[in-house]
Amino acid sequence: MKWGMVIDLQKCTGCGECVAACKLENNVAIVEPKESEMGRTMLWMDMLTVYEGEYPRLRVRQIPRPCMHCDHPPCTKVCPVRATYKNEEGIVAQIYPQCIGCRYCMAACPYTVKSFNWYKPEWAPGIRETVNPDVSVRQVGVVEKCTFCVHRLQKAKEQAKSEGRNLREGDFQTACAGSCPAGAIVFGDLENTSHRVNSLSHSPRATRLLEDLGTEPKVIYLKEVD
Amino acid sequence: MNTKLINRLQVLSISLIWLLFTGIAVWILNLIRESLRLHDSPDASLGISLVAIPVFFTLSSVLTYVFIGLRKGRKKDV
Amino acid sequence: MEKAAAAPHPDYDLLRPIENPGKSFYYIVAVLLVIILYTGFVYIRQVYYGLGVTGMAQPVTWGFYIINFVFFIGISHAGTLISAILRLSKAEWRRPITRMAEVITAIVLAIGGLHPILDLGRPDRMTHLFYNGRLQSPLLWDIVSITAYFTASTVYLFIPMIPDIAILRDRGVKPRWLYEFLSWGWQGTEQQHKVLDRAMNILMVVVIPIAISVHTIISYIFAMTVQPGWHSTIFGPYFVVGAIFSGIAAILVLMIVFRKVFHLERYLKLIHFNYLSVLLLVMSLLWFYFTFSEYLTGFYGHEPNEMRVFWYKFSGAYAPYFWTMVTCNFLVPLILLSNRKTRTIPGILIASISVIIGMWLERLIIVVPSLANPRLPYPTGVYIPSLTEWTMFLGGVSVFILGYMMFARFFPVISIWEIQEGRQESAKAVTERITSYMPDPQPRYTGSMEIE
Repeated sequence: MKWGMVIDLQKCTGCGECVAACKLENNVAIVEPKESEMGRTMLWMDMLTVYEGEYPRLRVRQIPRPCMHCDHPPCTKVCPVRATYKNEEGIVAQIYPQCIGCRYCMAACPYTVKSFNWYKPEWAPGIRETVNPDVSVRQVGVVEKCTFCVHRLQKAKEQAKSEGRNLREGDFQTACAGSCPAGAIVFGDLENTSHRVNSLSHSPRATRLLEDLGTEPKVIYLKEVD
Repeated sequence: MNTKLINRLQVLSISLIWLLFTGIAVWILNLIRESLRLHDSPDASLGISLVAIPVFFTLSSVLTYVFIGLRKGRKKDV
Repeated sequence: MEKAAAAPHPDYDLLRPIENPGKSFYYIVAVLLVIILYTGFVYIRQVYYGLGVTGMAQPVTWGFYIINFVFFIGISHAGTLISAILRLSKAEWRRPITRMAEVITAIVLAIGGLHPILDLGRPDRMTHLFYNGRLQSPLLWDIVSITAYFTASTVYLFIPMIPDIAILRDRGVKPRWLYEFLSWGWQGTEQQHKVLDRAMNILMVVVIPIAISVHTIISYIFAMTVQPGWHSTIFGPYFVVGAIFSGIAAILVLMIVFRKVFHLERYLKLIHFNYLSVLLLVMSLLWFYFTFSEYLTGFYGHEPNEMRVFWYKFSGAYAPYFWTMVTCNFLVPLILLSNRKTRTIPGILIASISVIIGMWLERLIIVVPSLANPRLPYPTGVYIPSLTEWTMFLGGVSVFILGYMMFARFFPVISIWEIQEGRQESAKAVTERITSYMPDPQPRYTGSMEIE
């Protein structure tokens, strides 16, 4: 079992629904405007904006960027306390109570996907009610990042177990995949031939970010056609 | 402070240093065991650790050698 | 409180700071303690609120604390390394310098070693490093090697200090119990000298690879990642050279300060400064060679991510720091120290301070630009250190000064017994040595030119 994701850039409109859905699902803290300007915005799913060319031939690409969940992660190599590690199903996980906040993994990640809790995360009174009870709230001073919504995976596994069957493709989706109105994000088991990600990952349009670094990311992008 | 007390404190301090270095060695060996259990790549780590432990014990041995050597080299009428 | 008996001693200048410290010592200590106390509060505030009180953010997630970590540990090099190398090469001019150098190492290593803890988001979880440390992380290698170096340099500082401690004990300097305890029964007998010599011979050899390994391993923290500007094989030797470079500068500054404050003109003569400053010049050229090599390689390869970091340093936001660094590390020492006329004590002081500033800038330039220019298309990172970080920097320097002053208050900063040994034996030993270099006397030849 190797969880992976395919993001079809042809279908993606850059609406940012995935960014918002991820933040709500995973209790990602909202930082103050001043902090955000400094660069402390916490986005597990970020939207990269690439400008190519000049006016009038300007081209803007929007690229959703979750954690790549590399098969050869540069971040887990350098963690001094094993607060980040890759589990058997290919998910690069964070153990919040273990993290000592040295931020080495953040410095080592070539995709810059990790966020840090510079202050204690707080929610304004209205938002506090929407906190997802299935996801732990992180403390100050620890690193966090996209987990491929592993809490949903755990729920689905338990459900499947109680029904005495294997996991099916539709059993769970990451928040971003579930929320995308264009259906650009597909999530599933890369090794399971019945899952859509498997066939999509073999598409001639398939590419990965920074492939030549040897990180073997499991988020596959389908290049735009035009 | 009389000489006997100071003597005992000196011996105590050297023993504590040995204790500390043994503790460090045990810690490093523990970490090596952990890394093997977790299937981390052991090569460089093992190499560094296996060099470091003898270094610590060389230091404590030199200290002990000096301590005992200075004791022995004293003039006989002390 | 009785002042210790100011019995006459040929090297009383070296004993006076201990036996007759003077009032200004206490004033300065008081000021330093206030600064350090304030720094303590600032740190507690940081632990309470979180690292948000610093200027770090994404993507520049490492800042002053890591920069100062590398900086302080870098300075530690000259201490033990220079002292060990000078002893090993039997350079007689080392005698008044070795102890000062060794003390720098011991103090600065402790401060530097503390800095990664200051940088932790959760210092309360520090024990995780001991219970669950992973040896494959360069940070763990650092912990092991810095601990090894700290213990080695402390032992290497202490053992040659024993005869001097015995001098203080015999002169009845207070606190008597301290010197009794530390002098380990030294009486200066021939056997004891033999033991000490043998121990020092072992130590000075053992200490050198440890010292080199420390800064190499610190460089591995950066070099073992794949980030542009960091993932370079030159980092190991580059850092070691830089460390020795900054360390020599630190010794020079300290020598000049102590010479002034303790009136040690008879001991720290112009020739000592001359030799050390030539070493500084050599290290400056070596540093320039490594720097040139590093950037030329990056530039020639023209890999896009490397080039972004390159231009950021050469002509971008970090250009002022970069070119100041080159000036401070290369131009100033080259101009001031290659000319005998400017190789005076004031000239050497300026060059050394310039190098210390330049080497600090080099650490800044290594840490920040690679982080500020991530590979993916993010906006370039900006790092503005906060007041908290400046305060911690000042605190670190204050701890260093205080530590050194406390050492100088209780122990002589120049090795008295080695100076005495030098007076009595050096000239003879050196003459013997040089005579042994000269060709042996020619054997007598018989008439047929065969050896008799």
